[in-house]
Amino acid sequence: MTALGDLLGSHVVRTVLTGAALLGALSGMLGAFAVLRRQSLLGDALSHAALPGVCLGFLIAGGRDLGAILAGAFFTGALAALAMMLIVRRTTLKTDAALGIVLSVFFAVGVVMLTHVQAQGGAASAGLGSFLFGQAAAILQSDLWIMGGVGLAALLLTLAFWKEFKLVSFDADFARAQGLPVLALEAALTVMVALAIVVGLQLAGVVLMVALLIAPAAAARQWTGGLGAMVALSAAIGATSGAAGALVSAATRGLATGPVVVLIATAAVVFSLLLAPGRGVIWRARAARRARARIGDGRILTALQGFADAHRDAGYRSEQGMLEAALGVPPPAGRLAALARRGLIRPVAHPPETTPHWELTEAGRAEAAAVSGEDATAREAPR
Amino acid sequence: MRDDALHEPGQALHVEDLTVSYDGAPVLWDIDLDIPPGVMCAIVGPNGAGKSTLIKAALGLVRPVAGHVRFLGHAVGRMRGRIGYVPQRHSVDWDFPTTVRDVVEMGLYRSLGWFRRPGRDARARALAALADVGMQDYADRQISQLSGGQQQRVFIARALVQDAPILILDEPMAGVDAATEAAIIALLKRLRDDGRTVIVVHHDLTTVRSYFDWLVMLNVRIIAQGPVRAVYTPENLRAAYGRQLAMIGVFDETAP
Repeated sequence: MTALGDLLGSHVVRTVLTGAALLGALSGMLGAFAVLRRQSLLGDALSHAALPGVCLGFLIAGGRDLGAILAGAFFTGALAALAMMLIVRRTTLKTDAALGIVLSVFFAVGVVMLTHVQAQGGAASAGLGSFLFGQAAAILQSDLWIMGGVGLAALLLTLAFWKEFKLVSFDADFARAQGLPVLALEAALTVMVALAIVVGLQLAGVVLMVALLIAPAAAARQWTGGLGAMVALSAAIGATSGAAGALVSAATRGLATGPVVVLIATAAVVFSLLLAPGRGVIWRARAARRARARIGDGRILTALQGFADAHRDAGYRSEQGMLEAALGVPPPAGRLAALARRGLIRPVAHPPETTPHWELTEAGRAEAAAVSGEDATAREAPR
Repeated sequence: MRDDALHEPGQALHVEDLTVSYDGAPVLWDIDLDIPPGVMCAIVGPNGAGKSTLIKAALGLVRPVAGHVRFLGHAVGRMRGRIGYVPQRHSVDWDFPTTVRDVVEMGLYRSLGWFRRPGRDARARALAALADVGMQDYADRQISQLSGGQQQRVFIARALVQDAPILILDEPMAGVDAATEAAIIALLKRLRDDGRTVIVVHHDLTTVRSYFDWLVMLNVRIIAQGPVRAVYTPENLRAAYGRQLAMIGVFDETAP
């Protein structure tokens, strides 16, 4: 714990933590929109395409100047988006192929430029490599102003156009029919995602940046039912992952921040996909098992009721073998016992026969009637 | 012609010389169409006839190569708040994180204007629209929990909440059960009786005559248009559907 205290006491580490949390929150917030609008992979292409821009900015500024680097990254990112759009419109290639081509070509150019710049040497060029996999420790205090500015602008824009962004993300055709400027709104969302990627490069790197966009949103979706809650939670998960990853990376030597952040965010996703109430895999499996048991129990009760009706004897004692014949399968082990525990049926003897017999209780008859009524109205039940 | 000059104000929908093409192939060819106010109109035609494209072009969602469209004499840009549009149910992601009431309130975003959030009034109007489609008990449900028929009714409520004189629905009966279909038709007929114009892209020829009073038969070109009684003839059906008609099996239906 003292090690952690020492770490937090350091001015540099505080800067890094603040920056990482800011970037995580920004990409988490905008990532929620990107994921809902199915633009996750566009984010991947944009972040890879930012690499040549990073090098370009470095070359023009003659050193590590965040403003120049971000401008360069944004420029080549926009160029890649434009190239993608042209390929889809002017050729027979589909979006996924266009995405793959643009992503790899721009990334290849970026790596060539990066190795070239690094081969030339120079003290600052070493820091350029950190854009590949992210190095939160490279965040300077002056960088925080740029990150904070971009973050604040994105937050204000999102709040101001909240309902329009929501409608465009949910149903763009309806928004257009309502007369909203859908093209401008979609462009604004995409530009904000691109900005989040570009500023986030320092934290996660061009290769893994897309995970910081998708993972918090995917995790947040599992726990929330409203867009506002999802965006807020996504930002919180992004901030936590970013800060935790930066801390781990700063506490150890030679561990790139990007992979650590991504692993932490992925842990949040796995946890959410498995355990979230209502949507988690485990929760749904348990709900499905309960539903199956309920349907099976209902069939047992109605079958018993059917025998009783056929014999015009409410207290009719049905042999277990008849139950098996009526259901087509032996009733699952334990279900009869469970129904008996709930007081819906009771085991009875029917001498001289020695086989097990069952009879419906008063509560069981009521339940059987309720189940039959339920079947009639089941048609309109939600999926 | 200037956009603000009235042109054919006597028609709820007036389409003239409309041609739409995707990648050079015409999807709609030289459409001339008039739908009078206060009717319940079906647009029918085989798959690929351009039914959805026709209403999308009318609403300005698809850019036509040629032609113009007027609603009650106005260009669509001046009629945005007065046309209720119900897109195909499958055009959106129903796993979107939002509630039923929230979706219905989306129909009010335009009239709210920029920077204003829906408030108590919007909430009341959304609940009233949901009551019209029998979904008031589902207002706070997640939309991901709805059945197909319930999704469709929510979409209709979103168009109703605008209180628009013209309603345009794209295949509202696709994939809903018989009870929901009957409820939807009863609701649409009630809206028609209130004096609204209801335009429906419809795919089931067997129900056309019992549901609608106006009919547009389409297959890239307009085959016929007018009162259902005059348009729903074996000759027109054959012209629109060709050989498919035998498979659909509606010839018996054309007998009185």
